[in-house]
Amino acid sequence: MKFQFDNFSHLLNMDGHGAYVWAAVAVTVLLMTWLIINPLLQRRDVFEEIAREVSREQLRQDASREGA
Amino acid sequence: MISNTGFWAFLRRDLLLINRRRGEVASPLIFFIMAATFVPLGTTPDAELLKDIAPGIIWVMALLATLLSAESLFASDYHDGSLEQMLISPQLLVMPVLGKVTAHWLTTGLPLTLVSPFLGLLLSLPAAGYLPMMAGLAVGTGCLSLLAALGAALTVSLQKGGLLLTLIVMPLYMPVIIFGSATAQYSIQGLAWSGPLAILGAMLALAIALCPVAIANVLRLTTIN
Amino acid sequence: MNWNWFYRMGSPRWFYETTSRWLPWLGALTFILLVGGLVWGLAFAPQDAKQGNSFRIIYLHVPASFLALAGYFLMAAAGAIGLIWKMKLSYMVMKCAAPLGAVLTFLALFTGAVWGKPTWGSYWVWDARVTSMLILLFLYLGVLALQYAFNSKDVGNKASAILALVGTVNIPIIYKSVDWWFTLHQPATITFTQAPSMHPAMFQPLLVMILGFYCFYAVALILSVRVEILARERKTSWVRERVKQAAQNSLGATL
Repeated sequence: MKFQFDNFSHLLNMDGHGAYVWAAVAVTVLLMTWLIINPLLQRRDVFEEIAREVSREQLRQDASREGA
Repeated sequence: MISNTGFWAFLRRDLLLINRRRGEVASPLIFFIMAATFVPLGTTPDAELLKDIAPGIIWVMALLATLLSAESLFASDYHDGSLEQMLISPQLLVMPVLGKVTAHWLTTGLPLTLVSPFLGLLLSLPAAGYLPMMAGLAVGTGCLSLLAALGAALTVSLQKGGLLLTLIVMPLYMPVIIFGSATAQYSIQGLAWSGPLAILGAMLALAIALCPVAIANVLRLTTIN
Repeated sequence: MNWNWFYRMGSPRWFYETTSRWLPWLGALTFILLVGGLVWGLAFAPQDAKQGNSFRIIYLHVPASFLALAGYFLMAAAGAIGLIWKMKLSYMVMKCAAPLGAVLTFLALFTGAVWGKPTWGSYWVWDARVTSMLILLFLYLGVLALQYAFNSKDVGNKASAILALVGTVNIPIIYKSVDWWFTLHQPATITFTQAPSMHPAMFQPLLVMILGFYCFYAVALILSVRVEILARERKTSWVRERVKQAAQNSLGATL
């Protein structure tokens, strides 16, 4: 196994095919990252929503106890 | 043994209902002719070029015309509650569904097949192509009707299901359109066209066996809930 | 035979807690496989004699195509299990597999188009496999559109499960027809002769990438199924317990 390119700019250029290869890599990495990040963000939102629900119920319970 | 009484009863009932609103039957047919007329206007009047694409155009237009008319397949039964009546009856729903789809084919697929030579004339289809095209359409539109009915059953409870129906059914039409237009193209090129036609027939047999069962189950799901 | 494991697997809570333990390991493995395979394929694998360096796109294109198709069957199988055993969890899997599969199908098409330009001189060629991929994307889009069309989540799940099953019956027919159609119209100027066999030095990184994509699929699917579980089981005490723990340990909320 050996490094196939002379230097870094050769790796970027890939004998003229660099634009195609790196465009494919960029879009793939971008979309795959989004597929991971998106559920994580959604999960944070759901957690916050549930936490708000819990504290609201807590407040309501406290209020009814004081009323009684 | 499954009795076929439901089949004839629903075939007759649907044909009677359709007979009362004949305009609805004519619309897909008129669409079929009009849309195909637009192709030479949009491309070229050159007969040499048109004859190569004529089978393809006629098939695509037949597909669209079938889809246009599919939305109404279960819609009126759904809205007036007769679909629910059908569902709560102890009878199996498979034969009535097949009867309804047959009525749909008799009022769309068959007329489309019968007017297709006229379109062939407009699009300068070579003489050898007429009989295979009609044979292909007669068999193929049967598949189209069955698949469209499946889409109609899936979207029957939706307010605006028409476009969604088109969207979910069209990918399933791919094999029918390939072998349908190939039947006509084979004969134009002087090849034996029984091969693709036989495959269309096989697809129709498969669709007749599987689609009504699927449609009956889907109707139960979308109507009762 | 004892079927307990099967029913336990259907429990969202069991799924959530088990995957909590697995995810860090699976995530790390995915990352190592993907980064390792990509660096290996892009920089260290020998270049193709005919196609030059553009052939390196294979390391993204082939795994994405694999998972796009496998994902459809997984989605349909999950839908079937939901329809037969009325398992909540398997509907959630089906629902999350649809967008994931659609994105992977798009990726397979995109990388294929970008690969096609330097190889065949055009971004789009009506090749049999390319066309089948496009139809697969349409099938995914149909399932997605139907899923979200119904007001009732339950009906939407069942309807799209049936559509996915119908699609599964159709996929072999579609692939065969498109194949047949392609041989009928194949232009003489373009020949798609495949290399008889790939050199091991080129094949090994591809194998790593395929494995990496499988692991990635599992991670992405598990992550979105977990969100679905949380949202649906929000009233249960075990979810509330989780939320409380996460609030105490803010780092935990991000994992």
